[in-house]
This record gives sequence, structure tokens and C-alpha cells, in this order.
Amino acid sequence: MAEEKNAFKITPGEPVGVIAAQSIGEPGTQMILRLFHFAGVATESVIATAGLPRLVELVDAKKKPSTPFSYVYLEDKVKNSFEKVAEIVKRIDEIKVRDLAKRTVENFSKGTIKARLDPQVLDTTELTAKGVASKIGKLLGVETETEGNVITAKMHTKNLKEIRAGSVKLMNLTVNGIEGAGKAVVRQDLKTGEFYILTADSNIDLILPIEGVDRSRIYTNDIFKIYQVFGVEAARNALAMELKKLMEEQRIDVNDRHLLLLADAMTFSGGIKNVGRHGLSGEKLSVFARAAYEETVKHLVNAAAFGEVDPMKGVTENILAGKQILLGTGTVSLAINKDDLAKIKPKK
Amino acid sequence: MAQINKKCYVYLNGRIIGYVADGETFVKEIRNGRRTGIVSGEVNIVYLPRLNAVHVNTDAGRVRKPYVVVENGVSKLTSDMVEKLNNKEVDFNYLLRRGVIEYLDVEEEENSAVAMSEKDITQATTHLEFDLTSIFGFTVNTVPFPEYNSAPRIGMGASFSKQSEGLYQTNFNRRFDSRGYILYYPQVPIVNTSVYRTSGIASHPSGQNFIVALSSYYGYNMQDAVVLNKGAVDRGLGRSMFYKIYSDEERRYPGGQRDVFKIPAATAEGYLGEHAYAKLSEDGIIEPEMSADEGDVLIGKMAPPRFLEESIGAGGLEEKRRDDSTYLKPGESGIIDEVVLTESPSATKIVKVRVRSLRVPENGDKFASRHGQKGVVALVVPQEDMPFSENGIVPDLILNPHSIPSRLTFGHLLEELAGKAGALSGKMADGTAFTGKSDERISEYGKLLKEHGFGEFGTEQMYDGITGEPFHANIFVGVAYYNRLYHMVSNKLQVRARGPVQILTHQPTEGKSRQGGLRFGEMERDVLVGYGASLLLKERLLEQSDMAPVLVCNKCGNIGYHDYIKRVDVCPICGGSDLQEVKMSYAFKLLIDEIKSIHIFPRIRLKS
Repeated sequence: MAEEKNAFKITPGEPVGVIAAQSIGEPGTQMILRLFHFAGVATESVIATAGLPRLVELVDAKKKPSTPFSYVYLEDKVKNSFEKVAEIVKRIDEIKVRDLAKRTVENFSKGTIKARLDPQVLDTTELTAKGVASKIGKLLGVETETEGNVITAKMHTKNLKEIRAGSVKLMNLTVNGIEGAGKAVVRQDLKTGEFYILTADSNIDLILPIEGVDRSRIYTNDIFKIYQVFGVEAARNALAMELKKLMEEQRIDVNDRHLLLLADAMTFSGGIKNVGRHGLSGEKLSVFARAAYEETVKHLVNAAAFGEVDPMKGVTENILAGKQILLGTGTVSLAINKDDLAKIKPKK
Repeated sequence: MAQINKKCYVYLNGRIIGYVADGETFVKEIRNGRRTGIVSGEVNIVYLPRLNAVHVNTDAGRVRKPYVVVENGVSKLTSDMVEKLNNKEVDFNYLLRRGVIEYLDVEEEENSAVAMSEKDITQATTHLEFDLTSIFGFTVNTVPFPEYNSAPRIGMGASFSKQSEGLYQTNFNRRFDSRGYILYYPQVPIVNTSVYRTSGIASHPSGQNFIVALSSYYGYNMQDAVVLNKGAVDRGLGRSMFYKIYSDEERRYPGGQRDVFKIPAATAEGYLGEHAYAKLSEDGIIEPEMSADEGDVLIGKMAPPRFLEESIGAGGLEEKRRDDSTYLKPGESGIIDEVVLTESPSATKIVKVRVRSLRVPENGDKFASRHGQKGVVALVVPQEDMPFSENGIVPDLILNPHSIPSRLTFGHLLEELAGKAGALSGKMADGTAFTGKSDERISEYGKLLKEHGFGEFGTEQMYDGITGEPFHANIFVGVAYYNRLYHMVSNKLQVRARGPVQILTHQPTEGKSRQGGLRFGEMERDVLVGYGASLLLKERLLEQSDMAPVLVCNKCGNIGYHDYIKRVDVCPICGGSDLQEVKMSYAFKLLIDEIKSIHIFPRIRLKS
């Protein structure tokens, strides 16, 4: 048993990085082709970036994903009641004036800004025109009037510039929910029957303090947000999970260990490093390895200026110079004790 | 429909030139003008209701296609006009002038309702197709039964037939095309189409009718490989002649120098050795009907030296000249077919030598049917080992049945069936697109096959040629027209064990013409790294490439050299003589040299 277990252990000198790179890279070439005929079922994959663009996003360690979202799971006492969850959603769901009204009409002679709220959009929320008006009044510090669905904000000035600026400001006002939390909707987990919240942004730090939110289960696809809120370990796990989810969505069978190795390589320094010039490849120890990748002259000149010594331990630089690489069969070397050598007596 | 523009703008070749009140009537007016001859027939006009715009196109390069004009549900091509046409009283241009036929471009087609046949015409119809085959181009129309194939395969079949060997010109033996491929015994396909027959391409056939069996053959026809019958090949199946032209010119150079055709003197620079010129006659040109092998000079030529100084050099008595002969490249051989001496417009002598070589089908040669079914010969089997039928018929080619269903080339099967029926009854079979229905055709051919004592569906009991045992299943055998494509191994084969290297990097050259190797690239390198095969990697990238012994100074880490006169190693920087020989990549040595050239001094520290 013990022997069998050991047979699965990786051998010293096994180039795991290259194997991982090839294992992820080879099916990645098929991903480009498959992307075009991707019919798509009504799941998160429709709203979120998937496939190769998402893989590039993760590997390049983009500061924010192009389609951020987060899952907010709730504590036991609320999670099974739709009403209670909807109540929380109402508190989170970010609605701006621009979501309700298409445009504003400014009256420079009277110094007013009018916004006609779309009744159809208004109906989908629990807001009323009066409520929106009072919120605008409070936030802008102006008097407001409502006439049906038309809100008129009376500005204190007749200055053209200020009214124009005020109009832009008005449109960007958050009249409901948490600013920066994004749109929020209630979803039901079909397996457990519990309700959870899906938001269209990754600012989980704003959602965490809300009562009823299960802090141990909150999740977002924004690796950097997780890094900020929960730390590197969580970011590493999130990165690996996102990679795994991505591969599964594309029906690509890659062993988890390759993805974990990639996640580890990107996070082991304590931060999140991308794979490329400004990250992993750009921080290689060897001058030649860096010069062989990108910006050749820059690396050579800097190496000269600082008197760098290339220890010639990596793969690239040894191939470059024509030496045997220190991996695989090149891991081992033979050492002979000179004293022992002297003990050998030649045959007579 | 909501109109975007209230005014109907008129665009002439993409530029706005004005607007009209009502685009639709305007377009109608112009069209009537075109049909009556007031407006040129090359004008195409379209009204786009969604944009409320009129596009008029008169520029060159539009694809246009003729249609019969239909007005008020009646075709303008009346029956007595057809009669006149048949009696040759009128011609196509007459109908064109009369507005019976008009050409539409892609844009104007958007405004038209084209009926496929006369009985499909309704009140809304504006045009009528002449014939359903006219929706295809010429090449596709030479393919039988295209409507039973998938569209990509039709296109592939069309492009393969352009690569086929045949009788491309009947005066091929007088021509000096840079390359020519002539098929021995070309045949007209048994299954052909109306376009094939009427276009006259039948006098330039480009293939042969093969007896094709749909079967496997001991695994030798997997994955688009085909098996050929050696007996058939020996009898001339797929045999072809390859002609290649080598030419050279006696150029004149500034300074009164010029090239001379002659057997180069042994003193010439770049002299190839006496044996290379052995086949040249006195004038320095090879004689017709001589056989030539690789390395043999066809045209001997002496050229003046590349740089003027060299010729002025030593006393100027004997001018130093350079050998610039034309010779057969490695792997080429043949018989000199014809030699032509002529003159260029600038009155310099030109020699053209045509070399012919016989190309018997061999392993690696490419064949294709007209349905995009290509295959490479994997085995040429002696006739006695081929499967045979009860009548003793042995197929010329064995095609793997797996090639058919996934590619949806059912036209291939129909062609085989029709070809077999045609061959047995001694009649050509018709495979014109959109004529007849498949089940009718199958029963028609089946009847013919039955009459001649063959299986109704083209299947036959066959026997293994090696064991003599009958096959469990009946094998589908038919006659299909196959093209031999000009991609032949003998023109592509290349090997290298040792050979030329590049001057700059000392690495092997690339490309067939330079006897190059195949690049062991970065991804291939990664594979060896992934296996941990460090010594194999070193062998590929160093020992088999640009390994160079370099002397490195133990004291200062600079690259030194060996002074053969004083018999000591020298370091040119520190002057020391304690140097160590290291095997490194020449490219790396070059890199170090180049780094030095940008004022960076790299030192190599050796560890023992």
C-alpha cells in the first residue's frame, strides 16, 4: 500500500511547471475555436465573461473582471424566506436615477432640472416618484416637486455651468440600495431550496456588514476583491476555483493540480502576480532568461549597471548557452571524493 | 416599415448624387430604360426600402449573372423565341438587347423574386433562372450529382480538379511552361454533366475512370489513404509526365562585361568538378535525350566576378571568372526533352532546357475524386493480392468506406453506381445537377446493372486476394472518375543528416532548396523539458546544431583563442594563457560578442 502510494508521488526533478503549462495551454487552443459556436444556456455564463477572454483575465491578474458579480448567501434564519431575502435585496440593490429616467430636461431661465421617470421601470422597483424626489432633494440639498412621474429639482442657481453639472450629478445619484453594490436580484438554489442574492458588482466589503449575510459563504469572481477582504490564501483558492469553473464550463478536462500550481505560482509571493513581463516571467532570477523573454536590451543594460551574476540554474539560460538543463535526468550529478579516488589501486 | 430618411437619397457607386421623391418608381423607370436600351445594360439599380435609398452601381468588378425577365407573371422568353434560338435565327445578345434577358448584380438581386422554373412563376415573380445549373460556377458544374453532396465538399472537389494532371494543352511538347504535368491516357468521365459536354473541356480531360471498391484493405487505407492496384499502375493508370524548364540568360553588365555560355574552365571560381560538366556539348549546353541526374549541369555559364576590383587585380592578363552554371538540384532527375536557344528583347542569348521525367504513381502521391474525396497512396498492391469479384474484376483503387458518411459526399456513391451502369451498357451517364430524383436514378441504374448480371445496388461478392476466402459482406464496387493531383512526393521529399549551415549563427539552414533541416522549435523544446530528457535536449539543440569549442580565460572570464604558431592559448584582454576549452552554442558566443558591442562586458566564470 505504502509503495503504491509513493508511486503517485511526483519525482524530484520533474518539471511540473512545464507540464502544467502544457496541460492548460493545449486545450486552451481549442477554446478559441469553440467560443464561436457556443449556444449558451440561461446560466451565469450568459452574464459573465467565460472561455478564453476570462482565462486571459485571470492569468493576466486584471484588477477588475470585465463582468464582476458576487453571490451573497444568507444566514439560516432568513435564507428560506423569500420575503426576508427580498427585504435584504431592497437594501442592497443599487438603483440610480439614470436607471429610472432616460434623460433630464434643464431649464436655465428657471434654474430647474426635470427628469421623467419611466413608469415601466419604476414599476419593477418598489420606489415611488415621490420617494425618489425626496431622496434626490436630500442628497442634492435642493427642493423638489413631483408631478405624476416628472420630478423637478429646483436648483439654487441659474448659472448654466452649475445646472449642467447638477444634471449629471442628479443622474448618477443612488436613490436606493448601497452605492457600488450593483444591481441585486434574488435567486433560489434549486438543490437546497434556499434563497440567495446575486449582485452585478464585486464590492463584497460593502455587503458584508449587512445583517443576515452569511460571511463565510459570500463569493465573488473578483480575485483582487477577495484578496483585499480575505487575504492571499483566499485569493489563491478563489483563483484556483475560478480556473476550475472555467475549464468545466468549457468541458475541458484539466487536472486540478495543474490549476492549483498556477494559482500557487501567482500568489506565493503574498500578492497576486500576473504571468508575463510584469509578473512571473519578469521576475526570473536569470538575466538571460529575462532577456530571452521580452525587452532584451533593458535587462542586459540593467544587469551590467548593477553587476548582476547569472547563476545559470534555470532552463532557458542553460539551453541558451548549450548546457545540460538541471531538470529531469539533469537533476543528478556525480561527485567523487578525491581521497577515495586515490585508494583505487591500478591493476598490475 | 419605419423609414429612416424622409428623402430618398440616390447613391451612384456609393456616393450621394441627389435624391428623388419616390425611390421605388424611380428604380422601375431606370429598369424599364435598361430593358428598352435607353440605359446601358451594365447599370444595376436597387431600391432599399429599409434605408429608403436607391443604390446605382456602374463600376467594374461586380459579379453579375443573367436572368430571364418576367413581367406580370409571364416570362419574356416565349416559346417561339426559343424556337428561333434553336434555329439560330437569333442569339443571346439579341435577347439581351430586346430586354428578354438582363444581368443582375448581387445588390439588385435583393429587389428580385427569382423563379426556379417556369411553373413556379407567380404575379410577384420578377425573374426566371435559365437553368438550375446556372446557380453553380463552371468548375462545380463539371462535378456530377453535386446536389447530393455537402456544400464544403463541392467547393473542395472544385479546387482539387484545378490541381489535377491532364492534357492541359495539346501542344504541350512545343511549349516552354515553367512546369507542366501531362497525364498518360487521359479519359473523358463516364459520368459527366451537360456543362462538361458542351464546354469542350472534354477535349482536355484530366483524369481516368477508376474501378473503385469501398472496402478496407488490411488497415492500409485508414484515414484517407488509398490502396492502388499494381497491375493497373503498370498498365498506365495514373501515369504522368512531369516537365520542368531550366533557363538562363547571357547577361550584360556595366563596364562591357558579359556572361558566356560555355563549359567553365577548371580555374573558375565555384567550379563544380569535372564530372558535373561531363554531359555538356561543346557549346556548354546539354544535348536533348541525355539523361540527367542531380548535380548534373544543364547550362554551363561563365560570369564575370561579382566585384570589379577582382578582375582588374593581377596584371589583367587572365580575367578571373566565376562559374554560374545551372544544374539539377538534389533529388531532381530526368531526360532532356528539348533545348531552345533564343534571344531576349535586349539581344542577349537565352537558353531554355526542358527536362522531362516519368511519374509512375507511388506511395505518397495524391489522388482525388470530383467530390472532394482526396487520398494519398499508402500501398501499391500486386494485382494477385487485391480482392477480386466473382467475375474476376479487380478494383484499381480501394477507398475506405469511412470516408463517406461523415463527409456527406453521397454524390460519390451515385457516381460510382452511374459509372458502373454506364460502363456496362456502353453509354455515358448524365450527372447534371438538379435533373431527376435520387430514387429514380438508383432504380434506373439498378435496372441496367441487373440486365448485365450485377447486383442492383452496386454491391458484389468479393474474395480476399491473399487468402482466397470470400468476404462476409458484399462490397460496393463502381466506376468513379479520379484525378491525379500534382502534389507528388518525388517533388517534395527531403532528408538531411548533415548539410549546410548558416554563416552568421552556424546553425543548420532551413528549407528544402537549401537542403535544410526541420526546425526543432520552442514548443518542441518544451516537450523535451517536460519529459526531463535533458541529454536528448542538449543533443538536439547543441550537438546537432551549432556546438562550438570556445576557449574561456580562467582569470578574466573573456573568450580567447589558440595561437597555433606559438602553441599557446591567449586571452586578448588580460594577456593570460590559462584558458579552458568549453563547448557552447555558437549562438551564445555570438550573443556574448553582441553584448560586448553595446559596451557591456560579460565575464564567464567557470566551475569545475
